[in-house]
Amino acid sequence: MTRSGAIPIDPSVRRFLWICILPVILFLVLVSLAPLVLALIDSLREMSLAAISRHGKFVGLQNFITVLSADSGLFGALLKTALFVLIVVPIEFALGLLIAMALNREFRSRRLWVTILLLPTMVAPVVVGLIWDFLLMPNYGLFTWVMNNFGWFQGRPVFSQPLSAFAAIAIIDVWEWTPFMMLFMLAGLLGLPREPIEAAEIDGASPWRVFWHIQLPLLRPIMIVALMFRAIDASKVFETIFVLTGGGPGTTTELISIYAYRTAFQNWELGDAAAICLLIGFFSLLAASIFFKLISRQPEKEAMADV
Amino acid sequence: MSRGSRRPSLLFWLVLPFMAFVTLLPYAWTFATSFKRRSDILSTPPTWIKDPSWFNYESMLFTRGFDLYLLNSVIIGVSSTLLALTVGTLAGYAFSRYKVPAGNHLFFYILATRLGPPIAYALPMYFLFSELGLLNTHLGVSIAHAAFNLVLVVWMMKTFFDEIPVELEEAASIDGCTAAQAFWRISLPLALPGLVTVAMFVFIFSWNEMLFALMLSAGDSNTLPVMIPSLIQHTGTLRGEVAAAAIVQTIPVIVFTFVAQRHLLRGLTFGAVKG
Repeated sequence: MTRSGAIPIDPSVRRFLWICILPVILFLVLVSLAPLVLALIDSLREMSLAAISRHGKFVGLQNFITVLSADSGLFGALLKTALFVLIVVPIEFALGLLIAMALNREFRSRRLWVTILLLPTMVAPVVVGLIWDFLLMPNYGLFTWVMNNFGWFQGRPVFSQPLSAFAAIAIIDVWEWTPFMMLFMLAGLLGLPREPIEAAEIDGASPWRVFWHIQLPLLRPIMIVALMFRAIDASKVFETIFVLTGGGPGTTTELISIYAYRTAFQNWELGDAAAICLLIGFFSLLAASIFFKLISRQPEKEAMADV
Repeated sequence: MSRGSRRPSLLFWLVLPFMAFVTLLPYAWTFATSFKRRSDILSTPPTWIKDPSWFNYESMLFTRGFDLYLLNSVIIGVSSTLLALTVGTLAGYAFSRYKVPAGNHLFFYILATRLGPPIAYALPMYFLFSELGLLNTHLGVSIAHAAFNLVLVVWMMKTFFDEIPVELEEAASIDGCTAAQAFWRISLPLALPGLVTVAMFVFIFSWNEMLFALMLSAGDSNTLPVMIPSLIQHTGTLRGEVAAAAIVQTIPVIVFTFVAQRHLLRGLTFGAVKG
């Protein structure tokens, strides 16, 4: 990942390098490493409020064994989270890229359009949940009313059915987070070098070919990072689901964050919760590194060679 | 794709009106709800504003003291954004340009701060911050928000810096530029569209974040998102006040993104190196 042909290092440069790196290291120790160690300690202790007499005792890997046992619900939650991420992220990516392409030309009202399209992202997730709760409310919701007129969901609320509840959660996530993809794709497109594009245009390449053979490959690095961050954030979705279904009906929409929350603050199994969080962190790191390895294998300079 | 043209493309007209409609509809309905009287909010069939009133805004801001929480949100949003951008941009630049000792491990480890549910960090951070006296302060919440946003800044800025040809800086260093000057005068301005995009989302993430703000602050240092659930009451959710809060909450972000876009959408000076 380190760039070949990096600038050679002399002492004054080395000082600047330390100025760049030291703050981030200090930060990580304070806000990441220290909490991680504390969570690790908690995960090895009996923290259940149901067993107050043994509270704080070290129990080894007991919490991990409890959590990893087949009936704990962890794997169900992980599976639902994976399904959710695999549904919403590609849709958000495709829509975001499409909108970014449509906006990739300078015209006067562009700032206004971008601002309008960003609106869903600007609203706090809790409020997003409440807005949609109102839109889909039985009897009084705007969308409920429209759908009832078509004969859909009459007498049975959207969030009472497993399939429609899950679909609604996914649609709301797409509504909320497509702008994230849109803006990063737009920034990427605007940052591309002009020469290869202009050269291809002079040679008579159609806009579609320019996009497919030049812009898309050049956009790759920023796409990868944007996809990865969206996938990470989508796997942690919490507030909207919490407000809308609380994980129900049953456990249909109980994604991993909701599951961890229920373990910690409804069942008060804090040790189990710490173990769950560490396991999720581990799985996510694994998924991220596999994704990154797979996707960054391809040569970066192919775009220039194609021209 | 002539950049000078001032009119949108055909693709624009095919895509944007529909997307904008879908995007705006829930927001427009919220806007309407925020100006309705309580008796009109729950009606079948749903109606547009009949008799506009400021009641929901007054109730939310002044009766329930949300003006203070709004101010807290601004202070925390701005300071955590500045903090994350400063620390993260420097690190992203170093990762892009230099061989950092153990750089690949460090670079990947940074990801860990955003992986996994926030509860995993919020709980231990609560104990840590209470030791350090950072609980219930603007600084504490700002640091927590900067922490999970730092990852985004470092990774994104490294990617954007990677796109900028090293040759520009090499030319500058031959002309007597120091490393810091090369960063400040050449790479940073060229990476500005990336920086602005990242800044928008870092601000938005901090502005909207609830869990850390909820756990690390109380009473007078609470932010807006933390207080919004207090509008869900046993007698029913205060739909009007929630709608008003949603509208008020988006106004500063609208202003910020509109202004920031001047730097994002100006187009680039990438032609400096002939490839």
